[in-house]
Amino acid sequence: MAADPKTRFLVVDDFSTMRRIVRNLLKELGFTNVDEAEDGAIALQKLQNGGFEFVVTDWNMPNMDGLTLLQTIRATPTLKHLPVLMITAEAKKENIIAAAQAGASGYIVKPFTAGTLSEKLNKIFEKYGQA
Amino acid sequence: MSDFSGMEDLLQDFLQEAHDLLSDVDNKLVDLEKTPDDKGLLNDIFRGFHTVKGGAGFLNATELVTLCHLTENLFDRLRNGELELTAELMDVIMDATKGVREMFGELGQGVQPQPAAAHVIAALQGALSGEAPAPVAAAVVEPPPAPSASADTSAAAGEPDWASLQAAITGEPVKPAAEGVVITRAETAAAKQAAAAPVAAAAKDGAPSPFGRRASDRPAATASSSRRAEERGRENTIRVDTSRLDQVLNLSGEIGLTKNRLTSLRADILAGKSDPETLHALDQAVSQLDLLVSDLQNSVMKTRMQPIGRLFQKYPRIARDLARQLGKDVELVLAGEETEVDKTMIEDLADPLIHLIRNAVDHGVEMPDERAAAGKPAKSLVRLEARQEGDHIVLIIADDGKGMSAERIRAKAVDKGLISEEEANTLDERQSLNLIFLPGFSTKTQISDVSGRGVGMDVVKTNIQKLNGSVEIRSEPGKGSVFLISLPLTLAILPVLLVLLGDQPFALPLSLVREILPIDQQRVQEVGGKETLVVRGEVLPVISLAKLLGWPRDRAPEYGVFMQTAERSFILGVDSFAGRDDAVIKSLEDFRPKGVAGVTTLSNGQIVLILDMKELLTDYSQHNDGGLAIRNFEFS
Repeated sequence: MAADPKTRFLVVDDFSTMRRIVRNLLKELGFTNVDEAEDGAIALQKLQNGGFEFVVTDWNMPNMDGLTLLQTIRATPTLKHLPVLMITAEAKKENIIAAAQAGASGYIVKPFTAGTLSEKLNKIFEKYGQA
Repeated sequence: MSDFSGMEDLLQDFLQEAHDLLSDVDNKLVDLEKTPDDKGLLNDIFRGFHTVKGGAGFLNATELVTLCHLTENLFDRLRNGELELTAELMDVIMDATKGVREMFGELGQGVQPQPAAAHVIAALQGALSGEAPAPVAAAVVEPPPAPSASADTSAAAGEPDWASLQAAITGEPVKPAAEGVVITRAETAAAKQAAAAPVAAAAKDGAPSPFGRRASDRPAATASSSRRAEERGRENTIRVDTSRLDQVLNLSGEIGLTKNRLTSLRADILAGKSDPETLHALDQAVSQLDLLVSDLQNSVMKTRMQPIGRLFQKYPRIARDLARQLGKDVELVLAGEETEVDKTMIEDLADPLIHLIRNAVDHGVEMPDERAAAGKPAKSLVRLEARQEGDHIVLIIADDGKGMSAERIRAKAVDKGLISEEEANTLDERQSLNLIFLPGFSTKTQISDVSGRGVGMDVVKTNIQKLNGSVEIRSEPGKGSVFLISLPLTLAILPVLLVLLGDQPFALPLSLVREILPIDQQRVQEVGGKETLVVRGEVLPVISLAKLLGWPRDRAPEYGVFMQTAERSFILGVDSFAGRDDAVIKSLEDFRPKGVAGVTTLSNGQIVLILDMKELLTDYSQHNDGGLAIRNFEFS
């Protein structure tokens, strides 16, 4: 399926430069409906207010990290269907396993290009399109 | 030229944010020395390096990634209790932080950073290895042991179905050829880079020794690049709270509406309408505009205001490093970090403050044994405080050291030929302390390498005066010294005193004015052919403004303005006063007559020159041979 350019994204990272990078890459791919959150706790609040269709989150953050955010999303009936793409600086096996077990929809390692991001997003859209 | 074309914006953002992060890390490191087991601190510092690494990756700054990665791993081990924080390890960490800062400097000039100094990398790797090789390499290359972190719920075997899990989220099947993690090309490359960058760098060079050639390149490169970094140091972007920008937007909208109202009223009035109602409406619209414009001015000014804490947070580290180097135990205590100051001013304050802090640690505070002998606690406190007092910002740098002796300072100044014996005898306590601001004065006979980048106390004073501020010293021998810096809230608006010569007004910066007094010609005395006046026991030269400006005058000035600039106090003779005003300074960029700081417009549309007293006086002393007379009172 073709991804809907109106898909509403939430980009979660404590480093504003990184949020901007991700936002710009998404824009490059045609997704302009993007909001940002500074950590997992803020993200969760925004998500609970509704309207989001996709979460792109960093792993390592203060207050609530990305893994906890992911676990909380999966444990919340209203949110558990959301696709969650994890971004981290580590390609460590135990990290990937932890993310997969927590129910991550995808996993991407910094730094990445628009191409890599697009590939990951499409895989996720495909999966959700089928479901 | 730039290695970052097309990415300048990103680079700027990154540097600004990363600088803040690093300053925060620096402060946390200083805290960590006190409480080496604080998990929260270790975690925060780990995250600081981790975040910088992540951002640096997008800038392809591989050397920065490598350095951050190693440091981050070190903190990972520290927080997991696998390593113990020793003093030596702390030094390694401090060096690494310094390396990161230097790389920011290089990035700031748009060039990719050089590799970190070989000894820093080696020390980090040494600390990390103990017995194990670089941990990331281990994670990538070796089949890792069953990860204890991921408690497997489904598989009783303990080892989760790695292939299917990875396929599920990375979207790629595991290639059997590769033992460990194969994700995407970019990712693998990044991991490899991170794990083996130093080696890879060496391999690229074809150099047998990993660091040999580059290490020898480094000193020269760093020296020249850090100098360039300083020149370019001034940031030309500013971070503004959006609510403040909204306010500006809102006010300009309101002003637009009021302007429309005025335009329609003008049409009515031009058409001959002048009934009380129209005039009342006009009155109202103008009053409203008045209010809105001053609100707008305030709001715009506020967008330039930044908490001074951003500047302060660099200093605890500087004080710590210096104190350690000197074998002293010093804690820099900060207060009032939230005080807001004009951004330009923050930048211009950076160097004078560093110098004053170094001065306090180097000259102010005693060695531990001296302190013990004087019955003081071994740890000395240096306090750096900011606060707003009325329309001024006050900065305080106070130490609890040995204080300054007026006697010794006078002797030194005479010794150095800065003042004569006679001059020295006329100086009181305060005037004597102020001698340290004279060019060429330095209390230590030996110039230590720590007292700063060739910046003397005279430059501190000059820099602060450039900001229309003043410095004051208070000192009590045995108890310590205090430097008080007073600054205006903003540079855009200058409070001035309007004086008259005939009916021509001139504006004088109010910050220089001490008082206004009538000049009684009977009491004016001639000393050495120059007119002087005694004000409360102080002998002050009387300089007529007309003479300063070279105006022909036959009548004597009726009023005097007691003014105090950096080096001298004097009475400026004028005819009369026209009041005080908050001048909005318009600079005369291309055409600037000597002695004129700028111009401002009065409410009646008249243009007034704002005088630069310092320049006028320099001119005066040179051309009128009046230098001697003024020099005599230089330290009053």
